[in-house]
Amino acid sequence: MGLLALGTALDWPDAKKQAQLVRAWGIKQLLEIWGKAKGKERDIMLWGDEVEYLVVTYAKDDPKVLLSLRQADILAALAGDKSLSAEGGGAPELQDVASSRTSKQLPVFHPEFGRFMLEATPGKPWGIDFKELLNVEPDMKLRRHIAKDHMLPNEYPITLTTFPRIGSPGVFTDPYYPVSGPRLRSQFVPDEIANPHIRFPTLAANIRSRRGRKVQVNVPVFRDENTPWPWKDPTVNYDMHQWPEDDDVRNGAAPDNFIHMDAMAFGMGSCCLQITFQAKNITEGRRMYDQLSPLGPILLALTAATPIYKGFLADTDVRWNQISKAVDDRTPEELGEKPLENDRWRIPKSRYASNSTYISTDPRLRPEYLDPDLVIDEDIKQQLLDGGMDDRLATHFAHLFIRDPIVIFNEDLQELDLSKTDHFENIQSTNWQHMRFKPPPADNSIGWRVEFRPMEIQVTDFENAAFAVFIVLITRVILSYDLNFYIPIVKVDENMETAHARDAVLEKTFHFRRNPFPVRPSRAAASRTPSGSSTPNPAFSSSRPPTPSGPVEDEYRRMSINEIINGTAYARRHESEADADAEEFPGLIPLVESYLDSVNVDVVTRCELATYLDLIRKRASGELWTAAKWIRHFVAQHPGYKRDSTVSEEVTKDLVGAIIAVGEREQRGEGFKGLDGTVPEIGRLLGGFRSGGGSRSRLRPEVVDMVADV
Amino acid sequence: MAQIILSTGNIVSGGPSIIRKPGAYRSNLELTNSLRSNFLAAQQDYADHADPDADAGASSPLTADDPIGDNNGTTTTISNGHGNTDTTPPPPPSLPVWTAHQDGVIFVPRIDWPEAGLQEEPSEYDITVKLFFLPTTPVAARPQYVREALSLVLKELDVRAVDLLVVSFPGMSFDGDCEWEADKRNALQGNDDDEAATWPAVEELQRQGLVRSLGIAEFGSAKLARFLTRVQVPPRVDQINIKNCCNVPPPLVKIAKEQGIDLLVHSDCTDILSKGTLRELLGPGPRGAGILADTETGTGGLQGDLVPQWVVKYTAVVRDRGVIENKGYFASAALVQE
Repeated sequence: MGLLALGTALDWPDAKKQAQLVRAWGIKQLLEIWGKAKGKERDIMLWGDEVEYLVVTYAKDDPKVLLSLRQADILAALAGDKSLSAEGGGAPELQDVASSRTSKQLPVFHPEFGRFMLEATPGKPWGIDFKELLNVEPDMKLRRHIAKDHMLPNEYPITLTTFPRIGSPGVFTDPYYPVSGPRLRSQFVPDEIANPHIRFPTLAANIRSRRGRKVQVNVPVFRDENTPWPWKDPTVNYDMHQWPEDDDVRNGAAPDNFIHMDAMAFGMGSCCLQITFQAKNITEGRRMYDQLSPLGPILLALTAATPIYKGFLADTDVRWNQISKAVDDRTPEELGEKPLENDRWRIPKSRYASNSTYISTDPRLRPEYLDPDLVIDEDIKQQLLDGGMDDRLATHFAHLFIRDPIVIFNEDLQELDLSKTDHFENIQSTNWQHMRFKPPPADNSIGWRVEFRPMEIQVTDFENAAFAVFIVLITRVILSYDLNFYIPIVKVDENMETAHARDAVLEKTFHFRRNPFPVRPSRAAASRTPSGSSTPNPAFSSSRPPTPSGPVEDEYRRMSINEIINGTAYARRHESEADADAEEFPGLIPLVESYLDSVNVDVVTRCELATYLDLIRKRASGELWTAAKWIRHFVAQHPGYKRDSTVSEEVTKDLVGAIIAVGEREQRGEGFKGLDGTVPEIGRLLGGFRSGGGSRSRLRPEVVDMVADV
Repeated sequence: MAQIILSTGNIVSGGPSIIRKPGAYRSNLELTNSLRSNFLAAQQDYADHADPDADAGASSPLTADDPIGDNNGTTTTISNGHGNTDTTPPPPPSLPVWTAHQDGVIFVPRIDWPEAGLQEEPSEYDITVKLFFLPTTPVAARPQYVREALSLVLKELDVRAVDLLVVSFPGMSFDGDCEWEADKRNALQGNDDDEAATWPAVEELQRQGLVRSLGIAEFGSAKLARFLTRVQVPPRVDQINIKNCCNVPPPLVKIAKEQGIDLLVHSDCTDILSKGTLRELLGPGPRGAGILADTETGTGGLQGDLVPQWVVKYTAVVRDRGVIENKGYFASAALVQE
């Protein structure tokens, strides 16, 4: 969650006055670090994953499952564990979070926005040695084990994106707090739902305050057989009069047929799986940012895990737009609801949204791919250009810097410190786009990084490891094969919306580039180039002339996720309705397999990687279900479900109980086989994978023994 | 007798030819497809220069930059047959244009050596070379083949040594319904004497510092055990090709672990370039490069019997970044005049 420095946080009216200063200083800090790091070369491939957990209280004989708000105590227990911290793990003090990159091994735990959440990262970044990729899953299991070890016996860390009944009437937290506090002013969740560290309530309060009303997180409700129609969210209270914002619902904030939510916690309380890569240099980082962008919506739909909000089945499967709305600080003028008088521009997207521009220097980036209506701060762009930054990157940051800083600490405004990046990070890290391009820290100790942010957290560590490793391999494939996934950025936006649909993974098609391969450079052309260039550049396209190109619209077409992931040939075999005339798209998994065929991988590693690829292949083809589909099915088959879209406490308890049962199996290394009796259709979620236990389960025990320490 | 060296160039950004198709597991398609596409690309690239209208006069940049310096003088010029091609694609430019001939070796296509090399310091890479001996050749020639193949790779990558040289012997595979079966069957494959007789030449390359470690391919437990008793420098790697890489025969796992041999996965086929495939690649047919004479009419190209000698695959991976920067093949064939 970035830097958590302590200090006096300004309320919005005061913060607003300082916004220009923070931006100005932020840009100076950016130019400073850019100047220092733009020539940084040959950083090795390092990467890290972030897993987020909900902490619930659950007991078989207790009818209620609740969100535990003991985050601070749990983190304190983790931080106080001497044996952990001796190994570099534990939970660093809040202000030390930024310096938690250690060379040691044990996982590290971090606070998150929700007071019912934990985040855990590996104790040190992963490399690209293929054997090391196999350590991800055991490390994730270890994180869960350590977390559970520092909780009460009835507390569990679970990896569900959202708690099904957060914000439902009655008690859903432990301990209980009444709703409608001064910070969130929510009629559904108490202020105490947020991490009490001053940054978080201030963030929520200032977003609300800047916006001029509470956030409005409205999700279409899933219409089942007995769902009354039009559906009016029965939990909305129209008679509250404690805060001015209580008028919101009387002014139409809660439309028919939508589940209505009104606080940042409904969005930022979601758990996701994020992967950060270190690039070799700024050029490679920019290229990775662009090439991974079009994959964002595909991986969002493929990891869909969020079908329930506030006790109701939603008509969408993913969390993305809800988070987007939950932190949408745009004013009515910026939203286009009122003529522009006080604000500077209309802004089409929330601070939390899909990327709005491409940033690479790749000659294959055609101007047509960019959004002609991108909002940027021209003055800031000019400052960056004057500082020597190129137009494209300056445009990117001038776009991020249209936003106000939300949380400003008075102590940081004394003088500009160019040995820090705090003001830059203030804006940068509150632009929650689906990719993030991260400059090195102020001391230039690590490289340019790219963060892949769209994926939803999965129920098991096996799945989370599979998706993390898959994305890592995809980045290597993109770089090795010099792939080109460019489509117009507005089509990526459109795909992001498409990814929300119920079962989008099977039911929807997405804009995707038809031919991802580079054009082979002409050797005649190459031999004409003047000699004397010291670095021949055969493998990378940056030196290639742009392809003579037809209309941009001819470069992409609609594809199913099956086709994108598994390739046209595979999709044709598995979908009778697939277009037989469609040209061949190779598929991301066949590309990864071709890559693995070309590098030296030992048999055990390849076997494990094949398991991960199989899981993803089957999720994409529909042979296995997404978590969203499985959860919907769980609710639908539950005797307590009345086909009225309502997910009761009883159903929630059994769902969470099932997820805990699956997690305990995984922790004990017993595999998921035999759970079908207690956990309905778990086989549709996890297939035969890990049926006999942990990783390497497909090798016979004697083989495992023999190869375990290879 | 002339030697023909076929090459793919760097195929890593070569597009579809590198992508494994479903069901095409374990084939030589990568080799044949990428050779074809490199021939085609070379024909197109040099076609402009072959056409006197496109590039004026004798000072063709190709000739000027010709690294081999033969100035195209020694190869046979074959008529292009202009004038009768309306619907069919134009025939490939005649032999000298996109091929090169030097010291009795015909390069198909010609290789632009100054373009060779890697982007970073050689120490940044893991360079793996896999040499395929073919059933069509005498064992006695193998020492020469190894040196030829390795020196081409060293020249192409502009490095002084490679990290791993894997040797693939003909007649070996890892087939069978279950892994025990495959391991048992493997024990009877290949030719122990030939393999042992070949090895000293490979060991010599390591002694000379051209290769850091050695490997073999498709050795099951029994063959591996026998092989180890007959060699001075044991292999550090055994590449095996099994459909389900999770089903490694336990005896093989055992011996590999005891001997400190890494079991790596590959998906190549052993007999990677047959005579028929080679003839089709270079022949006059619709899928051929038009280098060889039409056997029916005896016209239009090189004459003689074509014998594949060896194939070498090379891969350069940036070690700490997992990026494949260069990958390609060379293949050698002898053209025997009848």
